[in-house]
Amino acid sequence: MKSISLYVNRNSFVHDVDPITKLIYIAFAILVPIIVPSFTISFICVGISLVLLAFAKVLRKTVPVFSFVFLVLITVVIIQGLFKPENETVLFQLGPITMYQEGLLFALTITLRVLTIVSAFMILVLTTKPSELVESLVRKGMSPSIGYMIVSVFQIIPEMMAAVSTITDAQRARGMETEGSFFVRFKAFLPLMGPVVLGALINTKERAMALEVRGFNSQVQKTYLYEEKTYAYSRLIRALLLLAIAGALVWRILS
Amino acid sequence: MKKQSMWSLRLSTASLVLIPVAVGVNYIGKLLAGLLKLPLWLDSIGTVLAAMLGGPIVGALAGAINNIIYGLTADPISFVYAITSVAIGLVTGILFYRGYISSWGKALGAGIIIGLVATVVSTPLNIGFWGGQTGNVWGDALFAAVLANTDSTWLASLLDEVVVDVPDKLLVVLISYGIFMGLPKNIVQLYNQNDKVETLD
Repeated sequence: MKSISLYVNRNSFVHDVDPITKLIYIAFAILVPIIVPSFTISFICVGISLVLLAFAKVLRKTVPVFSFVFLVLITVVIIQGLFKPENETVLFQLGPITMYQEGLLFALTITLRVLTIVSAFMILVLTTKPSELVESLVRKGMSPSIGYMIVSVFQIIPEMMAAVSTITDAQRARGMETEGSFFVRFKAFLPLMGPVVLGALINTKERAMALEVRGFNSQVQKTYLYEEKTYAYSRLIRALLLLAIAGALVWRILS
Repeated sequence: MKKQSMWSLRLSTASLVLIPVAVGVNYIGKLLAGLLKLPLWLDSIGTVLAAMLGGPIVGALAGAINNIIYGLTADPISFVYAITSVAIGLVTGILFYRGYISSWGKALGAGIIIGLVATVVSTPLNIGFWGGQTGNVWGDALFAAVLANTDSTWLASLLDEVVVDVPDKLLVVLISYGIFMGLPKNIVQLYNQNDKVETLD
């Protein structure tokens, strides 16, 4: 079964860093450009994230995510450049189309904001196993029930996808049409969705009983299957990141 | 039998396993909508079903976890829209427990209300993160048209979100209601949190 997680197993120091430190890095990469609103700082933050992704040898894996984001960003650039209400200064003209400076600058702000968020999260998502992330959050005090819910989604979705392909074949064999007008395609949605959902909900009963008999609801302190992995420099890295956020705040207040 | 308050925070094991399934249903809905090239998202059927079965708290949790999973597997910006999903779960749960989704006609009305709530919550997020757009072709074309003719980004963004979200949530609620009606009674009973156990001795 195909995993839905984007995690890529490689050998790099980025992979070794613990998930909590990566979460602090995300906070750093998102907060600092908000506290210090300058294009240079945003570019630097995106740059740091990209360099880390390159060190983790996962740069190529970011392409599908970035291309999805860029698709939307291109329309943002076009629409804001053409129509932003504050548009005044003409930047250039292409036949009947006029691009304005204000709109394009605003689109650049949006683009950088999205890129800083996406690139910072990519580091966490591509180099951390979801189960490791959840486990370290549970160690930090998150409820194990919430942890179970998140981890089990990664198991349930591939199971449901397998059910979908079985049901699609079955319904096609019965003559269901999946192409044609909007109405025909929407009509196909129901006989595909219905059985998958009903089956999955009926299965919840067994899953609930299986958890109950294993004492999932007992109030005893839970133990962990894996030993906590620690990274030698995580304290230093965390301290530096928090210091950088604090430094940005101080700079903002003073200037 | 006294009905337990819908705000009960105690999660039964049944609700606990319902939430991952709800997220899976959302995921499959989005996948099928993409496969059939429907111009809709249809990615909140699970959240709505979870809210109908387990109440507003379970619905809200399903919504939040849904977006955490999307954030981890597809698009990190999804984390932000968790607020919208939580709102959808809460509103559906409240409407359902007050009896506002108990017939096809009422489900129609509830779908529109849920769509409008989702719009109101999403619009500020759209403006903050995308300059007001939704990423849906038809909605964004309207956004551009309104922006070209009026001076209000907010109006353009609100309309952009309304034309996409209201039909989407309306269909989602109708589909979920249909599925809910088709569920075996012993499954629905599993989530009915009446703790009273009657014994013969």
